[in-house]
Amino acid sequence: MGFIRSSSPDEAELVARSRQQDAEAFGLLMQRHAAEILNLAARMVGDRAEAEDIVQETFLSAFKALPTFRSDARFSTWLYRIAVNKCKDWLRAKRPVEIAGNSDGDDASTPEGIEEQTPERVLSQRQVAEQLERAIQRLPPLYREAFVLKHVEGLSYEEMEDILGVNGDTLKMRVYKGRILLCRELAEWKD
Amino acid sequence: MNEQELLVQRFVDNELTDEERLQFFTALDENPALRRQLVNAQLLIAEAAKLPRLAPSARLVEQVTSRLAQAKPGLLGGFWAWWTVPRTLQWSMTGVAVAAVAGLLFAWLVQLVIPRLQPVPLARQVQGEPTVLVRLILLQPEAQSVAVAGDFNGWNPSRTPLQRSGTLWTVTLPLKPGRYQYMFVVDGKQWVTDPLASDESFDGFGAKNAVLDVESL
Repeated sequence: MGFIRSSSPDEAELVARSRQQDAEAFGLLMQRHAAEILNLAARMVGDRAEAEDIVQETFLSAFKALPTFRSDARFSTWLYRIAVNKCKDWLRAKRPVEIAGNSDGDDASTPEGIEEQTPERVLSQRQVAEQLERAIQRLPPLYREAFVLKHVEGLSYEEMEDILGVNGDTLKMRVYKGRILLCRELAEWKD
Repeated sequence: MNEQELLVQRFVDNELTDEERLQFFTALDENPALRRQLVNAQLLIAEAAKLPRLAPSARLVEQVTSRLAQAKPGLLGGFWAWWTVPRTLQWSMTGVAVAAVAGLLFAWLVQLVIPRLQPVPLARQVQGEPTVLVRLILLQPEAQSVAVAGDFNGWNPSRTPLQRSGTLWTVTLPLKPGRYQYMFVVDGKQWVTDPLASDESFDGFGAKNAVLDVESL
């Protein structure tokens, strides 16, 4: 996946120049990371145009806050953290009451199985992707961000801890709950 | 999460030891339901990893670049950057003692000036609305006791203990529709945010309360 796991010297130099408010260097950083932030935002808010606005706001906020960026931290982690908070702000403002699925533990702990695939049931990759995208949108926001960061963006739990400020066990539980709800939705759809 | 589900979770996250993996594979061989669970999880993970990647449009990059030029911090921004930059704190025991005395003095003055406030329940209570049974669950195999404190019980954990059920602790609460904040209290001292909560809210003291939305049936 696109997560930059370590700051290359090149990136460190760009960050250092950006900290001096060098817009050109920051533009290069933006080109490098815009796709990851866009994909995260699109999955969190479910709308490409809104996601692009969030990307803009993320980079503008990052540029303004660069003097406070600790150089021992990963730039991409820091950027993800800003983007996640922007997405949460958007969700609070636009969709404060929409909660999909029941978050009760018992309810989600007995997933229905997805039936084994037969030639008749094999669906095109595109259809599966569309259904999965819709199902992700219906996840409660905390499960959604955990699932997207883990399984769509491919981050480790350690990276997610840094980004979300939540301990690993809690994140694993959220990812698990997200998976259970998604498995159930996809099973119902296939039925 | 029961033991089987926990095993699937740990297998998917590559957390099983070699011995546990062997036990897991044996269990898979004997248990079709477990096998199906694992297949479902792996299929989902594979599909999620294959979701199409969006590429930022040229317009997006252009717009941000043009706004960057206007975003250079002015005097106020420069001051904010200076104000918020992390610094190493130099301290001495004398300084700590002076700060502590000042803090105590301030707290004493506040107590004198501000009358005691009556606690106001945060949750919306609507007369006549039916209650909804809500079950709270916490996985705490090592705990000796678990209670819950929240808007619904005046934040008094002694009013609402959870019952042990294997490795789980559960309680069922009759609640009126509304938005409630709560925390679990483990062994009478450790405050724990519900990992299953679908939302959280900062409590103003650096921690997060779990948020529960109870809707009318």
